[in-house]
Amino acid sequence: MPQPLRILLVDDESVRAAMVEEALGQEGHEVICHLQSPASLNDMVERHAPDVVIIDMESPDRDTLDSMSQLHRENPRPVVFFADQHDPDSMQAALKAGVSAYVVDGLVPTRVRAILEVAVARFDAFQSMRQELDRTRTQLADRKRIEKAKGMLMKHQDCDEPQAYQTLRKLAMDRGQRIGEVAGNVIDILEGLEKGL
Amino acid sequence: MSMPHAPERPRLTLGIVPLLDAALPIVAREGGFFAAEGLDVTLSRESAWSTLRDKLAAGMLDGAQLLAPLPLAMSLGASGPPCDVLAPLVLGRNGNTLVLSSYWAEGMATPLDGSPGGRDPAVNARDFAERLRRRGAPRPRLAMVHPFSGHHYQLRDWLTLGGLDPDRDVELVALPPSRMVEALEQGRIDGFCVGEPWGSQAAQRGGGHVVATGAQLWPDHPEKMLGVTRDWAGRHPATLAAMIRALVAAADWLAEAPEHRRQARDWLALPPYLDRALEHLPTLPLGEPPVAQRLTGLRPEVGEMARVVDHLSRQLDVPLRRGVVEACYSPVHFDAATHQERA
Repeated sequence: MPQPLRILLVDDESVRAAMVEEALGQEGHEVICHLQSPASLNDMVERHAPDVVIIDMESPDRDTLDSMSQLHRENPRPVVFFADQHDPDSMQAALKAGVSAYVVDGLVPTRVRAILEVAVARFDAFQSMRQELDRTRTQLADRKRIEKAKGMLMKHQDCDEPQAYQTLRKLAMDRGQRIGEVAGNVIDILEGLEKGL
Repeated sequence: MSMPHAPERPRLTLGIVPLLDAALPIVAREGGFFAAEGLDVTLSRESAWSTLRDKLAAGMLDGAQLLAPLPLAMSLGASGPPCDVLAPLVLGRNGNTLVLSSYWAEGMATPLDGSPGGRDPAVNARDFAERLRRRGAPRPRLAMVHPFSGHHYQLRDWLTLGGLDPDRDVELVALPPSRMVEALEQGRIDGFCVGEPWGSQAAQRGGGHVVATGAQLWPDHPEKMLGVTRDWAGRHPATLAAMIRALVAAADWLAEAPEHRRQARDWLALPPYLDRALEHLPTLPLGEPPVAQRLTGLRPEVGEMARVVDHLSRQLDVPLRRGVVEACYSPVHFDAATHQERA
């Protein structure tokens, strides 16, 4: 059983951070979470001396970590994970998931890889969760817009509800757009007309 | 004539960081200069230089606005995975400000104001060193944007001018440009070196004073450059040429009239770009002291990069091979592009 590692997780997404923390904890690692501003990140790294730092690829705090590893040799070094040209697939996968990692010198690459695999899997899971949430939100918003557009069309064109819906559907098919998007356009145009534009 | 020059890849994504010297790609896009060269360009705003670097190296971006030392640091494998990067065009010169909190900067001269301290950056630097000795611990914490940046090197040069050791007498940290002003106001840092509009914003909000500028320390030095991988440039020569011509056209247009700079300011203030960071600037203050931001002089020259080469070689503790430097900052692509007819 290899010795557990101290992992510093830098992430503003608290739900995602909790998912990654739990998964890495189950692997026997000690996870320290950092969710706040980067100015204290320096102190955090110095205080906890982590073996590995995991950070979102898109995080604005990345330069702070890059700099720490560049300026002070005792700080965690950037992992050569992205540089591993023998395995471009895993690099792409990690990039896609938005994971970057920084580790101390001398840590066995396979151990880092194992940690990243766990982190990447959680990132992926979080990503699909968020996409699902976005989809649900869009559907809700679409439904509201469609109702409103139908009402405006009925009033404006003096037609009944099925006819108004048919009009929206036809517009959507003609334009290759979602019916929700077309409804948005119709609202804009009809509101413009009402204001006398 | 037109066929051989048609861009191989008409749809491009370029990475930018929300700074005033992202102006040329933004103007080239919003003003239709990319379109005139047959390019449909998406600008992707990135929140860190490391992200920009990794995405460029991984081929997720066609090109990027880079800190001038980064193409060389990347080519040497000193920053991220080793990746040959070319810097075929200068996106901006000057623009950096060194800002200190009021506690440290009180009474110091404003750069380029005609006073002895304005003319010679060593005056304020020595003043700072003197205050530091008198006040003792704790060490001031000074921020810059990235270890491979003009900001880092200019900050070191300024401290050295005052007789200070940048590695021992102060603590250097890196922060995202957009968070510098807030960090200074909250007292989490004592000063910073950053690109516009963040330096003038700090001064305008009153939390800090500009005590030195890049224009004073490294006059007219290339600050940001367009970066593409050598691999990408080899596969898309006509696209690169078109991109260079569009950026040159954008710079020419900007230099033409004050109305153009006001228009450009409004484009830069759009939400996908600098958004509200420009609220204190009614127009793009090009060439004005103390910052003296320039968006002209786009042709790169190897000889101009001596300061970067010197700092980088000390930082990495290795002598740099001249061939690597020349390959990186060669004007050959710029010259080829600007001597070609439009597609």
